[in-house]
Amino acid sequence: MSGNPYVHRPTASPQAAAEWTQRQILMTNLRTVAGRAYPRVRGLAREKSWLFFEILLPFLTTSAFVFVYRALQAPPEYVGFVVLGGAMTAFWLNVIWMMASQLWWEKSQGNLELYFAAPMDIVAVLLGMAVGGMVMSSSRAAVVLVVATVVYGVTFAVDQWLLLLAVFFLTLTALYGLGMVLASLFLMWGREAYHLTQFLQEPVYFVSGLNFPVGRLGMLGALAIALLPLAVGLDAMRQLAFADAAYPVGTPPPEVEALILVVMTVVFLSLARWMLRTLERLARREGRLTIRWQ
Amino acid sequence: MSATAPLAIETHALRRVYRAKPNDVVALDGIDLEVAPGEFFGLLGPNGAGKTTLIKILTTLLLPTTGEARIFGFDVVHQTKQIRRIMNMVAGGEQSGYGILEVREQLWMFSQFYGLGSRDGWRRVDELIDAVGLDEQRRQKVSTLSTGQRQKMNFARGLLNDPWIFFLDEPTLGLDVSAARAVRELILSWKAAVPGRTVLLTSHYMAEVDELCERIAIVDHGRVLAIGSPAELKHRVQRESIFRLELDRLDGGTASLARLPGVVAASAAASDEGNGQGDRQSVSVNLVLEDDAALGGVVGALGGLGAQILALRKSEPTLEDVFVELVGRGFDDAPDASRDETPPQGRAANPQPRREDEPAEEELV
Amino acid sequence: MTADAPVAPTAPPALGSPEWGGFDPARTRGRGLRDLRRSFMTAARLGWQTEANWTDPILFFIYSVAKPLSTTLIFVVMIEVIGGASTREFRGFVVVGTALWAFVIAGIAGLAWAVLDDRERYRMLKYVVVSPSDFLTVLLGRGVARIAVGGMGAAITLSVGVLALGVPLDAGRIDWPLLLPVMLGGLVTIVAVGILLAAVCIQTRQESWSYPEAAAGALFLVTGAVFPLSVLPAPVQVVGWLTPLTWWIEGVRLAVFPAGPSGIGGTGSAFAAFTGRVRPEPHEIVVALLGTGVLVTLAAIVGFRVSLHRAKDRGLLDQTTGS
Repeated sequence: MSGNPYVHRPTASPQAAAEWTQRQILMTNLRTVAGRAYPRVRGLAREKSWLFFEILLPFLTTSAFVFVYRALQAPPEYVGFVVLGGAMTAFWLNVIWMMASQLWWEKSQGNLELYFAAPMDIVAVLLGMAVGGMVMSSSRAAVVLVVATVVYGVTFAVDQWLLLLAVFFLTLTALYGLGMVLASLFLMWGREAYHLTQFLQEPVYFVSGLNFPVGRLGMLGALAIALLPLAVGLDAMRQLAFADAAYPVGTPPPEVEALILVVMTVVFLSLARWMLRTLERLARREGRLTIRWQ
Repeated sequence: MSATAPLAIETHALRRVYRAKPNDVVALDGIDLEVAPGEFFGLLGPNGAGKTTLIKILTTLLLPTTGEARIFGFDVVHQTKQIRRIMNMVAGGEQSGYGILEVREQLWMFSQFYGLGSRDGWRRVDELIDAVGLDEQRRQKVSTLSTGQRQKMNFARGLLNDPWIFFLDEPTLGLDVSAARAVRELILSWKAAVPGRTVLLTSHYMAEVDELCERIAIVDHGRVLAIGSPAELKHRVQRESIFRLELDRLDGGTASLARLPGVVAASAAASDEGNGQGDRQSVSVNLVLEDDAALGGVVGALGGLGAQILALRKSEPTLEDVFVELVGRGFDDAPDASRDETPPQGRAANPQPRREDEPAEEELV
Repeated sequence: MTADAPVAPTAPPALGSPEWGGFDPARTRGRGLRDLRRSFMTAARLGWQTEANWTDPILFFIYSVAKPLSTTLIFVVMIEVIGGASTREFRGFVVVGTALWAFVIAGIAGLAWAVLDDRERYRMLKYVVVSPSDFLTVLLGRGVARIAVGGMGAAITLSVGVLALGVPLDAGRIDWPLLLPVMLGGLVTIVAVGILLAAVCIQTRQESWSYPEAAAGALFLVTGAVFPLSVLPAPVQVVGWLTPLTWWIEGVRLAVFPAGPSGIGGTGSAFAAFTGRVRPEPHEIVVALLGTGVLVTLAAIVGFRVSLHRAKDRGLLDQTTGS
C-alpha cells in the first residue's frame, strides 16, 4: 500500500488494469457471492423481529395443519409430512419474496445499474442473494423441523441418509435456480411481479402437496413433480424420511426424483444465466437498467 | 502515457434513439468527442441535452444506436468487462445500497464486487472512509446518513477499485456549499494522485465546471455545440470589449458617450457605491467598445465633459454567457425535467415534435 | 365594452396589502369528518387502482380465485386423503373456515402492506404522514379495497364449496339476525388486527412482506377455523376464546350452518367441560365477540399510535431497509 488513500493498487496503465486472469475473474465472482450474501446475514442480526414472525408464527401455522390431521385421526406419519412441508415452506417463501422479486427491487432502489457497471458476473450477485437467503431460511426450517418433531413426536425412518441429504441439497439448488430465473422474468414484468409473487404462494402450496402426498393430486401432481422443485423435492424427502410409512403410490421412486432435481438444477441455472445475459442485452438496448422511482 | 496511447474517451458519430410513443426520441445525435488521458472534461447542457445518456453509454449501461465509443481503446459495446474493471461512476442524489447496513459494511460489500480480498477490502474501506471524512459515520446505518454524508459514501464506493476513469453525473446535486466543496477537493486529490486518471463530469453548476474542468463540451439536443477550455469558450462569445466605469458625474447622460467613435453601446448601470445616502455620489456606465483601443477616446471625451473616473473594470464573460449564447436559453429556462435518465428528453426523430415527458415505468419494464 | 372584449385577469392581493387579510388560523383546524371522509375515499380509490382492481382479470384471478380457493383445496385434499365417516361434515367445516379466512388474510395484509408499499416501493410514507390527512384513516382506506377482494374470495370459495364440494347450504335457514352483527364485529376485528400488523411493519424491515400471512397462519391454530378447538390442549383452547376471530367464525358457522359442528364446543372440549353445554349460544357469541373485539381494537389503536411515535422518534418513516 502506498499510504496515499487515493492509490490502493497501482497499475501501469488502464490496459494493464483491464486485463484480468481467469483466477482474478473467478475470485471476484466468489467474493461477490460472499459480498451479496453479507447484507442478508447481517440483516438477521440487526433486526430481531424475524425470530417471532419467521420462526414462531410459521411454527404455529405448521401446528395448525398438524391439528387438522389429529382432528381427522390420521396415521402419525401424516404429522411428519406436514412438519417436513412446513420446514420446506421457508425456502419457497424465501425464493419468491427475496429472490424472484429482488432484481426488480434492486432496480427501483438504484442498485441494479451499479451491479451491471461492476466487473463481476451478475449471476454471482444472484448466487449471493441465494446463499444469504438460504442462511435465513435454514434457521427457520431447522427450528420448525426440530421443535415440531419434538413437540408432536414425529418419528423418522430413514434407510438412505446420503440420498436424503443429496435430495435436500438438490432441492435447494433447483429451488434457488428457479428463483434466479424468476428474478429475470420479474424484472421484465416490473410492477406485476409483486402480484405474481402472491400467485406463487397458496396455489403452489396446493399443487406441491405441501401438507399431503402430492401423488393424491393425480395428473396435477405429476405435472407439479415435473415442473416444481418444491413438489418433487418434498415428495422424495417424504419417501426417504418415512421409509416405513404406507406411502401412497403414484409418484416416482426417490432415486428418479433425485434425477429430476438434477435436471431441474441444470436447466434452471443455465436458463437463469441465459436469461440474465439476454436481460442485460435487452436492457442495454432499450435503456431499462436505470429507471427509478425518484 | 505515450503519445500513441489510446484516448481516454473517444466517440465517433455516436447516436442514440429511444423507441417511444408517439415518436421516437433522439437523445444523442452524432456526438464526436476526444478526451485525452488525464483530462478533467466537463459536459454542460440543459436538462434533456443527452449528457446522462452519453454517460450511460460510456459506462456500458446503454448501447448506442449507431456510432462508436471507446474507453481507453475498449469498445463500449463488446468489451464491457474490461471497461468495468477500470472505471467507476457516481451520480448526484444516488440512493443505492442497503439501508440496514452500516457505512463500513456497505462499502465492504461493494469492494467484494471489485474483487478485493476480504481483509484487503476492510482495510481499503477504512482508508477511504477516513479520506472522504466519514470517520464518525463509519458504524452508522446507511439509512440514517445525511445527503452530504451519503454522497461522500458514494464517492468512497466509486474509488474502491482505483478507477482510471471516473464518471461523475451531477455529483454535487443537492449538497450544501461546504459539502460540495469537500467533494470537489476530493475529486481533485484523487485525480492528482496518479497521472492519467481521467474525469468526465456533468454538472448544472457552471462555476463548478469552470473551476474543475480543463475542457468543456456544451451539448444540447444531443449535439456538441462547442468544445474547448473555459477560457477559449468565453473568448469565443466576447466579440467586443465590455467596460464598466464609475464616474463622479456625467453631464449629458450616456447618449454623449454612445456617439463617440468605437463605442458600440453605452448604458447606465446600477452603481456599486451609495446613491446619495450619505455616501459619495457616483454614476455607473456600461460601455461596449469595438475593441480596447477605443477606450482612449472615451477617457479623453470624459475629461472634456468634466467627469472624473473613479473606477474602471473590464468585464469578462462567464460560462453562463457562453451557454446562453450557444444554447439560446439559460439553465433556468430549460425544460423542466428530471436529470435525463434514460430515455431522455431529446428531439423526436421522425417526425419532429419534441417529447418532453418521460415514459412511465410500466411502459418500460 | 363588447362581448368579445378580453377580460384582464385579477391579480391576487399582494402579501401584506390590506386586501391580503393575513394568515387565517382557521385553515389549520381542518374540517373534521369531511376531511376524514375525503382522506378515506381517496386512499380507498388508490388501493383499488393499485392492488385490488376487479376489472383487471389477473388481479381478480390471483386474489379472489386462486389464493382463497387453493387454501381451501389444501384442506379438502387433506381430509380426502384420510377419509373416514366424518369426511363430509368436516369438509363443510373447513370450507366455511377457509372461506372466512380469505377475509382475514386480505384484511390484515391490506393494511400492513400499505405501510411497506408506501415506505419501500413508492417512498411516499413520510409524505402521507405529514399531510393533513389522518394517517390511520388513509391506511384504513388503502386496506378496505383488499377487504373487498377478500369478501369476493370468500363468496367464490363458498360457492365452489356448495356447488362442487357438497357443502350443505340452505339459504332459507340462514340466521340473519345473528349473521349481520357477527359479520360487522368480525370485520372491525380484522381491521384492528390489520392495524396492529401495520404498526409492527412500521418498525420492521423490508422483508416483512410475509409477516401478515405468517400472523394469519398462526391464528389458524387458535381460532377453530379449520379444526375444532377441542383437539387442542385446554390452555390453548382458552387462548382461542380470547381471540375475537374465534367467536366471529363460530357465529358465522352457527348462522349459516345451524346444524353443523361447533369450532369452540363439541365433545371433550374445554368449553363443554366449563359450561356443561356442547356449543355456545348465539347471544354468548355476540357478547364474547363484542368484548374481545373492543379490547383488540383499543390495543390496535394504542399500538399504532405508539409505533408511529417511535417511528418519528427514530426516523424510520423514510428509510428503505432491504437486504
